[in-house]
Amino acid sequence: MILRWWLSTSALLSSLTIILVLGFLLQSSWPLIQQQGLASLIGTEWYPFESLFGMLPALIGTLWAVALALFIALPCGVAAAILCAELLPKSLRGSVRFGMELMAGVPSVVYGLLGMWLLLPLLESQLNLLTGRTLLAAGLLLALMILPTIMVLSEDAIRAVRQSQREAAKNLGIGWDATLWRVLLPQAWPGIRVATLLATGRAMGETVAVMLVVGSIDRIPEPFYNFLQPAQTLTSRIGREMAEASVGSLHWAALLFCGLILAIIAMGIALLSERRRAVI
Amino acid sequence: MGWNDYTSNDNTCRAEISLLGGSMFQRWSANLLLGVLLVASLPAVAVTIKVAGSTTVLPILTEAAKQYRVIHPELNLTVSGGGSGMGVANIERGTIDIGMASRPLSKGEAGRIGDTTNIIAVARDAVAIVVSKAVYESGVTQLSLSQIAAIYRGEIRNWRELGGLDARILVIDKEASRGTRHVFADVVLGNPRARAAGATIITGSNNEEQSVISRSDQAIGMLSNAWLNDRVRAIAVGEGDAAVLPSADNVANGRYIIKRDLNIIVRKQSSDEVKGFVDFLHSAQGQAIVQTVGFHSVR
Repeated sequence: MILRWWLSTSALLSSLTIILVLGFLLQSSWPLIQQQGLASLIGTEWYPFESLFGMLPALIGTLWAVALALFIALPCGVAAAILCAELLPKSLRGSVRFGMELMAGVPSVVYGLLGMWLLLPLLESQLNLLTGRTLLAAGLLLALMILPTIMVLSEDAIRAVRQSQREAAKNLGIGWDATLWRVLLPQAWPGIRVATLLATGRAMGETVAVMLVVGSIDRIPEPFYNFLQPAQTLTSRIGREMAEASVGSLHWAALLFCGLILAIIAMGIALLSERRRAVI
Repeated sequence: MGWNDYTSNDNTCRAEISLLGGSMFQRWSANLLLGVLLVASLPAVAVTIKVAGSTTVLPILTEAAKQYRVIHPELNLTVSGGGSGMGVANIERGTIDIGMASRPLSKGEAGRIGDTTNIIAVARDAVAIVVSKAVYESGVTQLSLSQIAAIYRGEIRNWRELGGLDARILVIDKEASRGTRHVFADVVLGNPRARAAGATIITGSNNEEQSVISRSDQAIGMLSNAWLNDRVRAIAVGEGDAAVLPSADNVANGRYIIKRDLNIIVRKQSSDEVKGFVDFLHSAQGQAIVQTVGFHSVR
C-alpha cells in the first residue's frame, strides 16, 4: 500500500515538474511573445539594447551544430556498436564499453576546455581560418560528447537481437555482411533511433562546451551553409547573457523564450521517439 | 606537557601565560580562553561579504579581500566575476553586497537603483587597444580613432591596409554588457551600445579575450590596461604624432581618451562590515593594491 502510494506520488510529482517548467518558461517569455509576436522567430537581428530579438541566427546555429555532430557521431557510434556487439571478444568488448561509459561521465566544461586548447588551434592551422571558433568546432565537440550515448545504446539494441536470428541466418548460408544489413540492423533500428534522438537532445541542450568554441556572434553564416564561420547557438546565448539581464525585462523574456524553443524541440523529439517505439 | 610543547619555541607566549600562575591554572585558563575565543568567533564567521561583477575590477577586489582578511579574519569575503552588467543586475536582485562595474550606470540602471545605491570609484583605468604580437611587429604600432572605428564597422578587413602584414583582421568584440565595451564603443564608435558589424567573434571576460589575442597572429581587441603582456601589445591611439600609449601619465593628463573609472556599487543601507571594507579600498593600503595590479589610484 505504502509502496503504491509512494510510486504514484513520485510519478505525479515528476510529471507536475515538467508542466511547472513549461508554465514558467511560457509565463516568463510572455512579454516578448506579446510585444513582438512569433515574428521574432524569423527575425535576423539580435540587439537587446535596441529591443531587437531575432531568433533566427541562433536557431540556425543550433541546427547546424547538432546536424554536424550527428553527421559525425552517428556513423562512428553505430560502427563501434557493431564492432563491440558482434566482432570483439568478450574481454575487449568490456574495455571498449567501459571507455565509452567513462567518456559519457566527463563533465562538459572539460570537453570545452580541451576544445579550446587543442581543437581550435588545430582547426586554425589546418583549415587556414581566421579563427577556429566556428560551427565546425562546436559540431566536432558535440560529436565527441554524444558518441557514448549513441554507441552504448546502439550496442544494447544490437545485442538484444535474438541469437536464434543469427543462427538462422548462418544456417541459410547468408554471409556476415548480409546478415548485418538484412537482419541485425533492421531489428536493432528502433533502439538506434532512440539513441539518436536522445543524443540529439543532449547536443541541443549542451551549453558550456559550445559557448567556449562557437564564437558567440549573432550572425547567420554567409552563405548560410558555411559552417567554417563563427556563429551563435540558443544555449550559448543564454549562457552568455542570462547573468546580465535584469529580471522582468524584455531581454530576460527573450532569453527565456530561447529556453522555451529548446524545451519545445526537446519535447517534440521525445514524443517522436515514443511514437516510433510504439509503432514498431 | 602538551601545552608546553606547543609553546616551547615561543617565548612571548610562555611569558604571558606564566603571568597567570601555576601549570594547572595555566592549562585551565588556556582552555577557557580558547573556548571564549571560539564562542566569540562563531557568530562573526557567519558574516559574509559577497562581491561580483566586472572582471576588470576583479583583481583589485580579489587582492584587497585577501589583505583585508588578514586584518579581519572573522569576515568571509567571496569575490567573483561575471561582467559589469551582472554586477549591477545582482545588486538590484540583492544577491550580492558589493557590485563591481567598470563603467557608469546606464540611464535605465540609474533609474532602477540610483536612489538606493552609491556608486564609488576605486581606481582609474585606460581601455587599451591591443593587437597580437605579430601585428605589432609588422609595423602597426598606432592607429587613429577613425581607423579603429573602420575596423569595427567592417570597412577595413586586412592589416595590409594599415601598413601591416597581409592577413585578415580577427576583430574581437566583447559581450554587450561588459563595461570595457561600453567605454570603448562610447569613445570609438560614438555610442556605448553601438553595433560592431565588423566583429568576427564575441568574448566575455578579459581573461578569455586575452587568451584569444595571444593565441592569434592577426587579432585586435580591447583590454583593460592590466591585461597587457608580451603577446598582447597595446598600440598608441591618436592622429600622427599625437598618438599616445595608455600610460599612467597619459591617463592622468587626459591625452589618452579611452579611459574610465573602475567602480563599486554598494547599497546605501549596507552593513558596517561592508562600509569598513569600502573604506579599506580607499586607504593608502587599498590604493597601493590598485597600483600593484596595474591600474591608477583615485587619490
